[in-house]
Amino acid sequence: MSETTHTTTDGTDSTVGTTTGETDERVREEWRDYSFDAPTKLGVDDLDVYYGDDRALDGVSMEIPEKSVTALIGPSGCGKSTFLRCLNRMNDRVSSARIDGSVTLDGQEIYQDGVNLVELRKRVGMVFQSPNPFPKSIRENVAYGPEKHGDLDTGVLARLLGRSDEERRDELVERCLRDAALWDEVHDRLDDNALGLSGGQQQRLCIARCLSVDPEVILMDEPASALDPIATAKIEDLIAELSEEYTVVIVTHNMQQAARISDQTAVFLTGGELVEYGDTDHVFESPQSERVEDYITGKFG
Amino acid sequence: MAGAAETRLVNRDSSEANAAAAGAVGLAALLFALSLAALFEVVTISDPIAGIPVVALLGGVLVLLGGAVVSFGVGSYLGVVETRPSASAGLVAAAAFAAVWLAIGGGVAAEVLNVGGVGSAAAAVAVGGVAFVTAAVLREDVGSTLPAGGVSILTGVAYLTGALGPAWVWELNFEQQASLTAEFVIPVSTLACALLTGWAAAKAYGGFGARGRRMGAYLLIYLNAGSIVGVLFLLLAFTAFKGLPGLFTGAALGPGVGPAVFGISLPVSLPFVTNGVALLNEFQGVLPAIAGTIWLVVGAVLFAVPLGVGAAIFLTEYAERGRFTQIVEVATNGLWSTPSIVFGLFGFAFLVPRFGGNKSLISGMLTLGFMLLPLVLITSREAMLAVPDEYRDASAALGVSKWQTIRSVVVPAALPGVVTGVILGVGRIAGETAPILLTMTGGTFVPGGQTADVIGGFQFTSTPPFVANPELLQATTALPFQLYALITAGVGLGDTVSSPEQFQWATAFVLLLIVLSFYAIGIGARYYFRRKLQYE
Repeated sequence: MSETTHTTTDGTDSTVGTTTGETDERVREEWRDYSFDAPTKLGVDDLDVYYGDDRALDGVSMEIPEKSVTALIGPSGCGKSTFLRCLNRMNDRVSSARIDGSVTLDGQEIYQDGVNLVELRKRVGMVFQSPNPFPKSIRENVAYGPEKHGDLDTGVLARLLGRSDEERRDELVERCLRDAALWDEVHDRLDDNALGLSGGQQQRLCIARCLSVDPEVILMDEPASALDPIATAKIEDLIAELSEEYTVVIVTHNMQQAARISDQTAVFLTGGELVEYGDTDHVFESPQSERVEDYITGKFG
Repeated sequence: MAGAAETRLVNRDSSEANAAAAGAVGLAALLFALSLAALFEVVTISDPIAGIPVVALLGGVLVLLGGAVVSFGVGSYLGVVETRPSASAGLVAAAAFAAVWLAIGGGVAAEVLNVGGVGSAAAAVAVGGVAFVTAAVLREDVGSTLPAGGVSILTGVAYLTGALGPAWVWELNFEQQASLTAEFVIPVSTLACALLTGWAAAKAYGGFGARGRRMGAYLLIYLNAGSIVGVLFLLLAFTAFKGLPGLFTGAALGPGVGPAVFGISLPVSLPFVTNGVALLNEFQGVLPAIAGTIWLVVGAVLFAVPLGVGAAIFLTEYAERGRFTQIVEVATNGLWSTPSIVFGLFGFAFLVPRFGGNKSLISGMLTLGFMLLPLVLITSREAMLAVPDEYRDASAALGVSKWQTIRSVVVPAALPGVVTGVILGVGRIAGETAPILLTMTGGTFVPGGQTADVIGGFQFTSTPPFVANPELLQATTALPFQLYALITAGVGLGDTVSSPEQFQWATAFVLLLIVLSFYAIGIGARYYFRRKLQYE
């Protein structure tokens, strides 16, 4: 991992920060030089997002290395969730959103004509803030994605023709639930409605559902904010395990959580700018920007 | 035990006073039920019960109740009964008492004392004013009991002395020569007294104050809810009572008496349900109308549900919220409130010429389908809007296409709401007369041979159109129309049906049963879909 930490503000507008324009320039230069050891999975360059006339993200650029945990922290309304939703184009579903800039996945631009959204979202999965399992059985929840993509067919016709994929489906359900550390708790009641699970179990089920389509990147939008400490600890352990195979990007309000689980941390501050990004240890121990230091030490935000 | 005036954690009620108050509340509720029954002529006010005329009985109970309520108030005021009254009974109660006493004062002055127009008006205002001041200025315990108890005592005395008896009539002297008879006035005034004294007694039971007000409100709400259920029950019971004799005319029970179904004779014979009307029939029945009603509803639902749900999917999931969806919304709401005779006329002018020029089952089905469509659309749309966006997000984040999401997440989650809409709509269309009068129905009496047999009517040919169904193109009848025709048939009805009134009531009862069983099916379906969505 790089030892470099870097700060960025919009070069033309430094009215908010405590740093002078000169320092901004210096930090920006440093940032250009940084590199993480691992290859870049997601590259973001000069990303602007507007909701109607409101600017939600302001020239964000960052590179997210693969098979690691990247935490996005910042005060409410700073655009970190917006940023996250840009990474699998979920913001396309908000009709008032306008997006400028570039996001690449394995070097391929995802904001261009001809991008297959189905394929993109299969490769970049997402877990939401509040657990949102479908009102279906646990088994149906996990198998939902592959079944709708046509990878599994357990329909009536397939069963009649004797080519039902029920066995493959059950293997998949078991693998995903094991990966999401939920199998032991639910293996004997897979046909029960998922809404009968506790909040923490529901969230792990959502993670299992997300794993079912074999993603490369998992985006998590404050996945533990609605959960109690024990359920949160389980989710955090799970994230650490997942990062061995998947690239995890997680938005969190909880700075201790970010410090515990992430390899890189990006700090967004009000106005939708990415102020500091680098190794978690560096960002928390010796932040370059005074504003970030103020935020981390709790003086504001 | 929320009460503004309560300061003690535990209050020791004087149990005798409490029991007496509870008894008064119960008596008032009983009186309420009795006066409702009298209003619907379940009991007649002129009949004596155990030798005592009903009016005298009512009067005695009213005086007793009024006395009890007044003595509660006075007892509380003098400190005999332990209560926590507020400073005043409140403006609403005062206004209500003023209105009641205004009417009593005016009525007594004009009718009993024969005071002239201005004099009786002055008396009314004076009496009403006194009641208002009593309720508004005096402490709550006397303020709410004295006016209520007074009304009850006065009414009771009027009943007992015969001033208001079964023969009493009030000529209103309007141009219409309208008059109010004792049959109406006595139950209504008893009802009012029961409400007033019951409310006051409930307040006394709660010891006045905040708790007493709550008790009074509970009593009024319970009586209200109870009377709604009571009216519904009365309607059902009344129709069943009148309809059952006709329904069971000629009914027989025993092996082999019934009609043959699949070659086996049923052990039950119910000619009213299994026969049509024919000259040689021993017992006449309404089978064609029953079959017609059922096919009508089935056809209308089959037509309206796919269209309505499809339109709702388009409006909620695909169309941009804006001017267009607003216009569609206004149009559907307007269509739902369109009078049914307009639909009928549309069917008559538009559908009938296109289906061979004669009234036909299919024209009726489609007309009712058009009527059902807006409600299905409105309720399906509401149900789909209520499906949380989280489900759609979750599905989209898995890369599942919009149509797949709608099919496998949105529609299943909205199904209970859709079914509710269909239930409501079926309840309306199954009883419609006007549209089918213009589009579907033939004569007053339909022979059993004309029973619509839609399933058996399909004919397959080797030339286009390959499939035909003459049954759908035939005029038939339905229960609401049958009922309408029977009532308007007049002379000649007796020649065909042995006892026309029984026949009519039985038709009404069967219609009611069929509509209720459609309800039951719908409610069962909704329960099933809801269970599937919930964890149980």
